[in-house]
Amino acid sequence: MTAQNGEGMEKRETNRDSGHRLDQEFGEPVFTELTRRSFLKLTGFGLAASLIPGCSRGPSEKLIPYLDQPEGILAGKATWYATTCGGCNAGCGMLAKNMDGRPIKLEGNPGHPISGGGLCPIGQAMVLPLYDAQRLQTPIIQGEKSDWGKVDREIRDSLAKIKRSGGSVRFLTGSLTSPTEQKTIQEFLSDYPGSRHVCYDPLSQSAILDAHLQTHGVRRFPGYDFGAAEWIVSFDADFLGTWISPVQFTAGYQAGRILESESPRLSQHLQFESRLSLTGSNADQRIAVSPEQINQLITALAARIAAKAGQSVGFSSPSLKPDHKAKIDELADSLWKSRGRSLVVCGLNQFETQVQVNLINHLLGNYEKTLSLLKPSNQCQGNDRDLAFLVDEIEKGKVSALFVLGVNPVYDLPGGEGLAQAIKKIPCTVSFATHLDETARVTRYVCPVHNPLESWRDAEPIAGKLSVTQPTIRPLGKTRAMVVSLTVWMGNKKEEYQVMKDTWRTDFFKRQKTDSTFGRFWDRALHDGWVEIDSPVRASTDFNMKSIQAVPKDPVISADKLSLVLYPKIGMLAGQHAHNPWLHELPDPVSKIVWDNEASLSPETARKFKVEQGDRIEIRQGEKKLVLPVHIQPGQYDGVVAVALGYGRVGTDRFTRVGPQWLESLPTVAVGETVGKNATLFLSLSEGRIGYSGSEVSIRPTGEHGELVTTQIHHSLSVPAGLAMKGMPKRPFVQETTLEEYKKNPESGSHPVHPKHDLWAGSHEYTGHHWGMIIDLAACTGCSACVVACQAENNIPVVGKDEVRLNREMHWMRIDRYYNETSEGTDVVHQPMFCQQCDHAPCETVCPVLATVHSSEGLNQQVYNRCVGTRYCSNNCPYKVRRFNWFDYPREDRLQNMSLNPDVTVRSRGVMEKCTFCVQRIQAAKSESASSGKPLVDGDIQTACQQSCPAGAVFFGDLNDEKGLLAKLKSSPRRYRVLDDLGVEPSVGYLRVVRNRPEPRGVKHHD
Amino acid sequence: MTEDTNVRPPLIDGNKDFQQVTEDICAPMERRPTNLWWVAILVSSSMLLLGVVAVTYQVATGIGTWGLNNTIGWGFDITNFVFWIGIGHAGTLISAVLFLFRQKWRTSVNRAAEAMTLIAVMCAGLFPIIHMGRAWLVFWFAPYPNFRGPLWVNFRSPLLWDLFAISTYMAISAAFWYIGLIPDMATIRDRATTKYRRMIFGILSFGWDGSQRTWSRYETVYLLLAGLATPLVLSVHTIVSFDFATAVIPGWHTTIFPPYFVTGAIFSGMAMVLTLMIIARSVMGLQDYITTRHLGAMCKIVLTTSMIVGLAYATEFFIAWYSGNPYERFTFINRALGPMGWAFWIMVGCNVLVPQLLWFRAVRSNVAVIFGISIFINIGMWFERFVIITTSLSRDFLPSSWASYVPTSIELATLVGSFGLFFTLFLLFCRLLPVIAIGEVKGAMKR
Repeated sequence: MTAQNGEGMEKRETNRDSGHRLDQEFGEPVFTELTRRSFLKLTGFGLAASLIPGCSRGPSEKLIPYLDQPEGILAGKATWYATTCGGCNAGCGMLAKNMDGRPIKLEGNPGHPISGGGLCPIGQAMVLPLYDAQRLQTPIIQGEKSDWGKVDREIRDSLAKIKRSGGSVRFLTGSLTSPTEQKTIQEFLSDYPGSRHVCYDPLSQSAILDAHLQTHGVRRFPGYDFGAAEWIVSFDADFLGTWISPVQFTAGYQAGRILESESPRLSQHLQFESRLSLTGSNADQRIAVSPEQINQLITALAARIAAKAGQSVGFSSPSLKPDHKAKIDELADSLWKSRGRSLVVCGLNQFETQVQVNLINHLLGNYEKTLSLLKPSNQCQGNDRDLAFLVDEIEKGKVSALFVLGVNPVYDLPGGEGLAQAIKKIPCTVSFATHLDETARVTRYVCPVHNPLESWRDAEPIAGKLSVTQPTIRPLGKTRAMVVSLTVWMGNKKEEYQVMKDTWRTDFFKRQKTDSTFGRFWDRALHDGWVEIDSPVRASTDFNMKSIQAVPKDPVISADKLSLVLYPKIGMLAGQHAHNPWLHELPDPVSKIVWDNEASLSPETARKFKVEQGDRIEIRQGEKKLVLPVHIQPGQYDGVVAVALGYGRVGTDRFTRVGPQWLESLPTVAVGETVGKNATLFLSLSEGRIGYSGSEVSIRPTGEHGELVTTQIHHSLSVPAGLAMKGMPKRPFVQETTLEEYKKNPESGSHPVHPKHDLWAGSHEYTGHHWGMIIDLAACTGCSACVVACQAENNIPVVGKDEVRLNREMHWMRIDRYYNETSEGTDVVHQPMFCQQCDHAPCETVCPVLATVHSSEGLNQQVYNRCVGTRYCSNNCPYKVRRFNWFDYPREDRLQNMSLNPDVTVRSRGVMEKCTFCVQRIQAAKSESASSGKPLVDGDIQTACQQSCPAGAVFFGDLNDEKGLLAKLKSSPRRYRVLDDLGVEPSVGYLRVVRNRPEPRGVKHHD
Repeated sequence: MTEDTNVRPPLIDGNKDFQQVTEDICAPMERRPTNLWWVAILVSSSMLLLGVVAVTYQVATGIGTWGLNNTIGWGFDITNFVFWIGIGHAGTLISAVLFLFRQKWRTSVNRAAEAMTLIAVMCAGLFPIIHMGRAWLVFWFAPYPNFRGPLWVNFRSPLLWDLFAISTYMAISAAFWYIGLIPDMATIRDRATTKYRRMIFGILSFGWDGSQRTWSRYETVYLLLAGLATPLVLSVHTIVSFDFATAVIPGWHTTIFPPYFVTGAIFSGMAMVLTLMIIARSVMGLQDYITTRHLGAMCKIVLTTSMIVGLAYATEFFIAWYSGNPYERFTFINRALGPMGWAFWIMVGCNVLVPQLLWFRAVRSNVAVIFGISIFINIGMWFERFVIITTSLSRDFLPSSWASYVPTSIELATLVGSFGLFFTLFLLFCRLLPVIAIGEVKGAMKR
C-alpha cells in the first residue's frame, strides 16, 4: 500500500534513463529518402489521416502520458488502499480502488472486524462526496472566503482573549470513534479551564448508555453479537437498516441464519414496531404496535422474565390486549428456554424503557454472551443531557467559544432557528463542516475539513478494534484536518499523519504483541486497514436491581389524533448525505420512494382520513406544522404517522437541474426549495432526552396532491381471486417456506415447473466457463447496498425525480419488494432483480442489428456502439431488466465525472444497457489468470453487488466448475428460477425464503 | 367485355360517353385549384409542419420526449406504424385481388386507393425510423457489406423481416400504381396545352401510343403484377404481426395474429378508402363515378372483415381462458377491465358494434352515415393496435415492473404530423394526377 500525501514516505527515484531510446523503440525510419512513390504514399497517408478524424463523432482529445512514470502505478491498473468508511460512525472497513490517481470505487474490506467485508448503500456512495464541487474549498470568515493564515490569526487572538477572561469553550461533536481526535480535542481543551467536550448523536440512543450507567455503573454502549443469539427480539430497533451499525449487525444476523449446511440453523427474530422498517420486513414474525404499547410490552416481558427468574421487581405487568398477552407469555417462555442465547434490543430513546431492557437481558444471562460491556461499542456516545445543558448555556449566552465538528445542530435539533440566533451571538464560533450547512452559515469561522478519502484518521468503533483511514488522493481543495487546525491553534502545528502516528506509537503499539517494531505494526495496519489491540476496560459493576423502575405512563393519544414516529431513512440517516444524488435516487428499501420524505399512514388510517397516495396532508402539533405527501404503508400500525428525518436540508436545490431538461420535464426540486421537508421541528429535547416517537399530532388533508415518486406501482404477488389457478394463489416468483416444513421436506414451498419442450437444446455449448449467479433470498435483507455498488461500478447515471416518476430509473440492479397480506399481518419479501443472462435469451433473437448477443461463456452481451435503440429487446424481456438511455444524462456536478469507472463505457443517448455480470471484472480476472497461469477459482471474480452484500446473499461463479460453489448451490433443494416455465433458461437462480415461524400463513386475496 | 347490365345498374351514373369521362376526370387537373382545396392543403401542411417540428425536437433531444418507459418500450410510435401499414392494405386488395376476381366496380376507386396505399406506407415507414434511439444509424438495418468485421444484421429478428416485407410491398405497389397510370398520363399528354406539360407527361407516359399491341402488353403486365401483388396482401401484415407473435409477452405471443392482423388491415384500409372517397367525390364532383353502389360494395367488405375481427377478439379471450396460462389469463382480464380498459372498449365499440349498422341497406346507401362509420372504424383500428401493444406491455410477468403510459405532447404532435403528411400528399395527388383510372373506368362502362 502506498500513500500519497504523507510525510515519512520516501520520494522514490524514478527511472529516468532506462536505456530506451526513441529510435530503438520505433525501429528504422520508414521513409529515408523521398522518392516519387514514397512521396505519393506520404501524401495519400496524410490525406487519409486528415480525413479519418473528421469522421469521428466526438472531439479529439490528446492523451498525456506520465513524464515520470511513478513506480507501482500502471495506467489502467487499479491500486487499492485499505481505509475506513466515513459515512456514519459504524466504522466499516473499505478498500478504495484508485485508477490513475483517482479513487473511483469503494468496496468492503474482507475480514474487517466490524463490517466483515460488506458495505451499506451509504458506504458505496461515499466516493461521490469527494468530487462534490459544492464542498468547501477554503476557510470562510463571516461568509467571506478567506485563507488559513487569516483564520488562524483571528481564532488564536480570540482564543487568547477567552483564555485571559476565563470564558468557557465548548467543543460539540457527534460520536467520535477516532482516538486521535479524542485525544487532540482533550489536549486542546486542557488549555481552557472549565471547557467541555459535548457529544450528541442526531439519531440519539443516549438512553441506552444512561441505562447502563444506572444498571451496570458504566456509561457504555454494549457491543451486540446478533450471530450468537438464537432468539432475537427487537422493539423498534431497525438494526438491519439504520440502527448504529447495520453492516456489522447484518453480517452478525446472517451468521445465525445458516441454511446451506448439514445442520441448518436459523435464529428466530420477532420484531415489535409501529412503522414498517427494513428490519421488520425481514423478521420471522412481526407485530405492529403503537409506540406507547412498546413500553407496555417491554414492561410486561420484564415482569414475566423476572417472575421466572424469581426476582421481585418494583413494577407489575400492565394490562395488555389478549393477543399481545398471549404473545408475551409465549415469548417469555421461549426466551427463558434460550437463556444466554437470546438478545433483546430496543431502539426507543427512553431511559426507563432501556433500563427494563437491560433487566431482561440481565435476567436472561445474555450479558457477555450476546451483548458485551467488556467489548463495548464506541459507535454511539451521545449524551442528550449534556446536549440539553449546552443548548441552554448557548441560549443564555454563557458560551464564549463553540467548535462544531461532524454535527449540524441548527438543522438537527428542534428549535434550530432560535439556536442559530444564539450561536451568532457567541464571540468565537468555528464549524469544521465540509459544506456550507445550516450551522456553518451562522458560525463566524468555517474551517473545512478533508473528505475521509483525503485524510489520515483512525477509528475504534468497538473497543480494541482499530480501523485506519488513509488518504487515497491529495486534497482537492485547501481543506485542513480538524486535528491540524487544533495543533495550529495550540501553537504547535503538526500534520494529521504525524498526530495519528504519534498516538499510535505511544498509545496502541504497546497494546499488541504481534509485531515487534512499530514500523511493522504501522505497515500492517495500513495494509490490512485494521488491527486488533488489547482493550482493558473497567469491568462493570453488578447489576443494580434497585435501579429498576416503572416506565412512566405515556400520554394517551386521543382517537382522532395520531402518534408521530420520526425515523431515519437508509441513505439519508439524519441528513448527512443530502448532497449525494445516488442516495437520493436509491429507492427506499420498503416504500420504494425516491427523492422525498413522506408521511406514512396505514391503509386503514388513510381510509379514515379519506386520503390517497400522494395527497398532501398537514401534520400539526400545537403551533408546529408541516405539509407532506401521504404514503400508504401496509404493515404500519393504524394510529401512527411516520415521517423520515434527514430531509429538507439547505442547499439541496442544487438538484434542480439534475436529470434531463426538456419541454415537459418537471424539476427534481424547485429553485429555492429543498429535497423533502425537515421534520426535526417535531423532535423534542426535554427531560434530558431527544424524543423521536409517540408525540400526539393531528393531521388534515390540504386538498392538494403532490406526486410521490416510487419505482414500483404494484406491490402484491397474489393473483386476483377469480384468476388464480388451483393451489396457486400467488405468483411463484418469490417462493417461501417455514423452517419446520423445510426440515421435513427441503423442497417445500416449491412450485411445479411444467415440462418444457426445448427447440434449441444444445444451441449454445459452453465449453469453457458458464457464468451464473445464485441469490439467497433467505439471506437478502433488501438493504440495497448492491444497487448503489452497481451504480458506482457501472457508471450508471442519476436521472432525477421526474424520470423515475416516468418509470425510467436506470439502476441495473433493482430490488423488487412485494407485500403479502396474510391472516397475521403483512409479510414482506425482497427480491434482487437484474439481467438473468438467459441461455435462450428472448432479447437476443429480436435485435435487428445484433447489438445483443450471446457469449461463449453464457453472458448476454450488450454492444452499446452497435445498438440503434429499437427497444424491442426490452419489450421482449420477461424480467424487464433492460434500461434505455432516453436522454443523455450528464451529471449535475461535472466534477463527479472523476469517479467514472474507466473500464466501463459511458453510454450515450438512444442505446440500451443492462447488467453484464460486471464483465469488466470477469475480463480482468481472466487476463490475470492467463498471465499468472493460475486457473480461476471461486472468489477470483466478484461482481460489484456480490462484493458489497453485507448479508452474503449473492453468489457468482462458474456453473461449469463441477467442484465450484455455484454447482453446489445449483443443486440446493431451495433453488428455483424465476419464470422457469417460459423456457428462457436464466443463469440466475434464487434460493427460497425460509422463515422461522410455526405455521405457514394463508394468503389473503385482494386486488 | 360484356356485362349482364340488364340486371345490374350501370357502374357509372349520368349516362356519359367516353369523351365526357375524360373531360370529367381531367378537369380538376386542368383548372385552377378550388378554394376548398387551398383550405385543405393549408390545414394538412400545417399539421405536417407540426409533425416535422416534433420529430426534429425528438431526434435532437431523445426518445425520452415520448411517454415511454422501461416497461413500455413502444407506444404511439409502433401503434402508428401498424395503423398506417394497415391503411396501406386496401390499395393492393382493391387493385390486385379485386382485379383478379373481376370486380368491375373497383375501377372507380382503385387509382385513389393505390395512391393512398403508397402514401400510407410512406407514413408507416417513418415510424420505425424515428422510433429508434439513434435514428441516424438506420442504415445499419441494411445487410450491406462493411469493414466492421463480421458485423451483419440479425435475420432472426422480426424487425428485419419487416424491413424486407415493407420495402417489397412498397416497390410492388409503386410499380403497380405507376403502370396503371401510364395510359392516363398519355391522355393528359395528348390534352396538354402547354409545352412543358406535354413534355413532362410525355416522359412519364413512356411514349404510350394507344395501339392495340401496347394495350395488350399493358394488360398482360397488369395481370402479372396483380398476381405478384396478391400474396403481399397476406404477407406484409403477417410479418408485421410477427413482431408481436414471436415475442414472449402475454398478449403478444399468439398464433392467431397473422390472419387477425391481415383482416384487421383490410378492414381498416377499406374504412380509410371509404373516408377518402366520400371526401373526394364531393370535393371534386365525382359523384357520378363513385356512386353509392361503389360505397355499398365497400361497406359489405367492411362488414365482413369487421365480423372476422370481432371473432378474432373473442378467440383471443377464449384461448386465454382455455390455455390455462395464468399470465395470459391475467393479461386479457386486464385488457378489458384494467386501468387501460377504456381503450379496449373503444376498440370493441368502434370495430365490432358500430359496423353492424351496415347490415341495413338504408345505412349502406346513406353517404353521411357511411362516412361516420368509417371514421369510427379508423379510430377503433388505431386503438386496436394501441391495446395490443401498450396494454400488453404495461402488465407483463413481474408485477414490480408494471407501469402506465401517458403520451406526451411530442407524441400527439407526431401523430397529427403523420396525418398531415398523409393528407398533404393525397391532396397533391388529387391535384396532379387523375384520381380515377380513365382507361379502366371506360372499360367497365356500358358500351
